Amino acid sequence: MNSVIPPEKRVTFTFDGKTMTAISGQTLAAALLRNGIRTLRKTRKESKPRGLFCGIGICFDCLVVINGQLNQRACIVEVRDGLIVETQDGVGSS
Amino acid sequence: MSAALAAADAGAQVLLLESNLRLGGQYWRHLPENGLNSWAGQSALQSDYQKGFLLRNRVSSNPNIEVLCGAQIWSATSEDSVTVNFLYDGVSHSFETQSLVLATGAYDRALPFPGWDIPGVMTPGAAQALLKGSHVLAGKKIVVAGTGPFLLPVANGLVQAGGEVVGHFEAQRLRSWISHSRIAVRNFHKVFQGMRYLRLIRQERGFAVVSAHAGVDGQLEFVRVAKIDSDFRIKNGSERKIYCDVAAVGWGFTPDLSIAHSLGLNFIEGQDGYPVVAVDALQRTSDPRIFAAGEITGIGGSDLSLTEGAIAGRAAADRLQNINPTVTLKSLSRARTLRLRQRKFANTLVKIYSVKDGWRSWLTPETIICRCEEVTAETLKESLVSLGATNSRSVKLLTRVGMGACQGRICSRAAVEIIAAEQKMKATVEDHISAGNRPIFSPITLGQLAQEPIAYDAL
Amino acid sequence: MKNPDAIVIGAGVVGAACALELSRAGMKVLVLDRGSIASGTTGSGEGNILVSDKEVGPELDLALRSRNKWFEIADEIGNEFELEPKGGIVVAKSNQGLSSLKILVEAQKHAGVIADEVDREELHDLEPYLSHEFESGILYSQDAQCQPMMAAAQMLKWAKNRGAHLEVGAKVISIESDSQGVSSVFTEKETYYSRIVINAAGTWAGEIAALAGSKLPISPRKGFILVTHPAPNVVRHKVYDADYVANVASGEADLQSSAVVEGTRSGTILIGASRERVGFDSSLNISVLRILAAQAIEIFPVLAQIPLLRAYHGFRPYAPDHVPVIGEDARLKGLWHCAGHEGAGIGLAPASADIIAAQILGNSTFMDATPFSPRRFELVK
Repeated sequence: MNSVIPPEKRVTFTFDGKTMTAISGQTLAAALLRNGIRTLRKTRKESKPRGLFCGIGICFDCLVVINGQLNQRACIVEVRDGLIVETQDGVGSS
Repeated sequence: MSAALAAADAGAQVLLLESNLRLGGQYWRHLPENGLNSWAGQSALQSDYQKGFLLRNRVSSNPNIEVLCGAQIWSATSEDSVTVNFLYDGVSHSFETQSLVLATGAYDRALPFPGWDIPGVMTPGAAQALLKGSHVLAGKKIVVAGTGPFLLPVANGLVQAGGEVVGHFEAQRLRSWISHSRIAVRNFHKVFQGMRYLRLIRQERGFAVVSAHAGVDGQLEFVRVAKIDSDFRIKNGSERKIYCDVAAVGWGFTPDLSIAHSLGLNFIEGQDGYPVVAVDALQRTSDPRIFAAGEITGIGGSDLSLTEGAIAGRAAADRLQNINPTVTLKSLSRARTLRLRQRKFANTLVKIYSVKDGWRSWLTPETIICRCEEVTAETLKESLVSLGATNSRSVKLLTRVGMGACQGRICSRAAVEIIAAEQKMKATVEDHISAGNRPIFSPITLGQLAQEPIAYDAL
Repeated sequence: MKNPDAIVIGAGVVGAACALELSRAGMKVLVLDRGSIASGTTGSGEGNILVSDKEVGPELDLALRSRNKWFEIADEIGNEFELEPKGGIVVAKSNQGLSSLKILVEAQKHAGVIADEVDREELHDLEPYLSHEFESGILYSQDAQCQPMMAAAQMLKWAKNRGAHLEVGAKVISIESDSQGVSSVFTEKETYYSRIVINAAGTWAGEIAALAGSKLPISPRKGFILVTHPAPNVVRHKVYDADYVANVASGEADLQSSAVVEGTRSGTILIGASRERVGFDSSLNISVLRILAAQAIEIFPVLAQIPLLRAYHGFRPYAPDHVPVIGEDARLKGLWHCAGHEGAGIGLAPASADIIAAQILGNSTFMDATPFSPRRFELVK
C-alpha cells in the first residue's frame, strides 16, 4: 500500500512546515494518515486531540487550515501540489 | 442518478446537484476512474461496482441531464416555488423549481461510548472512504465493530487490501436471523452475498466495543470488547482488551433529513424509530412538487434506492407533463412490485440489526455525547435534574448539545434518546425532528451569503 | 403548591428574575410556564445587557440599575451564566458621524452612563479586526453579556432553593378574579390560588392579560440572528455602526440601524439587529440574512471568510410605544405585568423585577416607575 509513487501521480504539500508526499486524487486526511498524522487538532475547551471520524465531511472533527483558510475539512479536500496545511488551533483563531 | 435517468427518459430536462466531487453518493463514493482495474479488486463487489460505473456513465453522457458536482446546497425553502440555494465554485447560486427529487441519502450512525472521541476511533464509512477513495489503510491493526451488514464489506475490503483486522464484532447474535428466516430464504441471493464475506474473515457475534482507550500520545491504544446480551447489556466478566490503532465502529445508518425538514415535508416513524420522509406509491411527499427516494424514505440499501429513484424520477417527469398519476402508477407497476419486495427485505434487515437500549449502560458520566461542544453525559443529565430542562430543546439551550459545527448530525440522535430515557420516556419522531432542525445545511461563509445569488439557468 | 403567595406566569429571564426577587423577600412563589425554562424569547436571546443603545429617559435609568443588579445577582447566586463586562463600542467612519452622536453621548453621560471617546489608534487596539474605514468610536464599558437561558435557569434554581416552585408544561387557561381582585389561576391540570399574579409571559403577555379579562397591547417583532463558526478573539466587544444616526438634534437618536456584531465566550460571533429595523415578517427570509451578513462585513471585513454555523429567529415582545410594561394592571387588582421589553429583556430583567417586587411589597421603587405603568394605555383611547 505504501509503495513508491510514480512521479506523474505524486503530489507534494507541507504540513506545519514539514514536506509530505501523496498520490493525486487522495483526500488530505488520507494523505496525512499515510504520512503518519492521526491527530489533526485539539478541541477548544478541553484541548483533547481529535482526528478523522466520519470521513465524509459531516462531523467537522478533521478541521485544518489550508493556504490560510480556516475550518477546512481534510476528509473532503483533495490534496494538490503546493498546499500549505497547518493545524488549526482549537476551532480557529485568525 | 437513477431518478435523473428515469426523469430524462420520460422527457424531462434534469439538473442534478451532487455535493461530492464525483457522482456516486456514499455507496458508490469511490468508483474507479478508468474501468475496474485501477484498484485492488474485490470480486464480491465487482458486479456491484460495475453497476455503479455504468450508471454514472449513462448519467454523464445523457444530453438531458446537467450534472453539477461539488454543489453545496446550503438552504432550501418552499413557498410559491421550491427555491434551492447552493454554492458552486465558491459562488452562491439559486434556482427555483416546481419539481424536485430529494435523495440526500444517509450516513453512518455513531453511538457515543467512552473514548469514542480518541483519534483512531472512526466510523466504518470513514475506513471505507480512506480505502476505496484514497487507497489508504486506516491503520495497522484495525478493529471493525458495531452492527449491520455494512461491517462485512468494510472488514473484507481491509483484509483484501492487506490490512490486519485484529477484531471483527457484530452485536447481533445469529438467533436474530432465525426469527426472520422466512424473509431470509426469499432473499437468499442477498444473504448469500453476505455469507461470502464471512468466508474470508471471521466475525464474532454478540460482542461489542464498549470503550476505547488512549495511549500516552493521546491516540487510540486499545479497545475493550465485551460479550453483550440481546439487550446490548454487558455480560459481567466478559470484557477483554484488544490492542489496535483504529476502531471502525458503526451502528447502521441515519438518514440525512436536513433539506427535507427545511422544505416542511411530513415525516413518519421509520423501522428503527427514527423519522423518515413520508411518501406514497409514487414517492410523492406531502408537497406535491417534491418527491423523495432512497435512504431518506427508509434505510434500505442500494438496490431499493435504485428502484425508488426510478419511480420518483418517472413520477416527477410525468407530473411536469401533467400526466394523470393513475397512468404513471400503471406504467410503473413492475417497479412498484419490485420495490415492495425490496422494501420488505430492507425492513427486515433493519429489524435484525436494530440497536437495543443497553448501549446507554456503557456510558460513564464523563463520556462525551456532543463531540463539537464537548458536552458530557453528566452535563446533559444535570440539566434535566437541577436546571429544570424538560425536553431536548431546553437541554440543547442549556448545554449547547448539538449547537456546534456539525449541528447535531453526529450526536443529536443519541442525545435525544439519552434525554428521553432520563425522563423515563421514549424518544418520539417529533423529538428527533426538532433536534434535526438545521436551516443552514452546509457552511457558507458570510461573504458568500452576502452575495446576491446568481439565478441558475439550467440547460 | 396550591396556595402560593405569588404566581409568576413565564419561566423566561423576566419571570425568573421576578421569582428571585420575591423569593428573596420571603414569599412562596409558584412559576408556571406552558413550555420549559426559557422556551420563549429568552431562548433566542443573545444575552445583551446594554446601556449604550438606550436613549436618555426612563428606559436608560432602568438599564443602568439593571446592569448593576446583574452583577449583584452573579455575586449572590454564583456566576454560572457567563456574565462578563464585555463592553460595547459604537464605531464611526467619519468624524461627522461621530459628532452627531456626541450630543446623545453627553446626555447619556449626564444620566450616569460611562462613555469614552476613542481615537483611531485606541479603536483599532480594542478591535484589531475592525475595518480601517472606521476612525473613531465611543466605548461603553458598562455594556455586558451573559448566557440568557443559563441565567434564567440559575435564578430559578436559586429561587427553588428558597421555597419557590416551578411547574413546566403548565399552560394557563384562565385567570379568575372576584371583588377583591385576582383570585386564582387555572392550568389544564390544576388550579392555583393567589392574590398576586405576575404576567411575565413576554410575547404572549397580551394573551395572558386577556385570560384575566384585561388587555395588554404586546406584539411580537421577529428578528434574526446569524451565528458563525467559532472564531475566537476576532470580535471582542459588542460593536455597531453609528453612521446612520438620524435626527440627533431632536433627541431621537436611532443607534440601531445597522447590524450589531459581537463575539461570545464560545468563540462564535453573533450578528443581529438590536432593535429590529430590518423588520421582515416571514420565515427564514434569506434576504434579511443577506443584509445582516453584508452589514457585518462592512464592520469586520474578515467575517467574509468565516462560515455561518446557523441562523435563527426570535420574537421580541414590544408595546406600541416601545417602552416596557411594569406595574399593576389598570383594571384588575393583583394582576401585575412585567413584559414588553422588546430586544432588551435580558438586560432589563433584574431592575424590572426589582420594581415589581417593591410595588407588590408596598416599598418605594428605586425610580419613578410611572412611565412603565400599564395605565398609560388607558389614557389614550
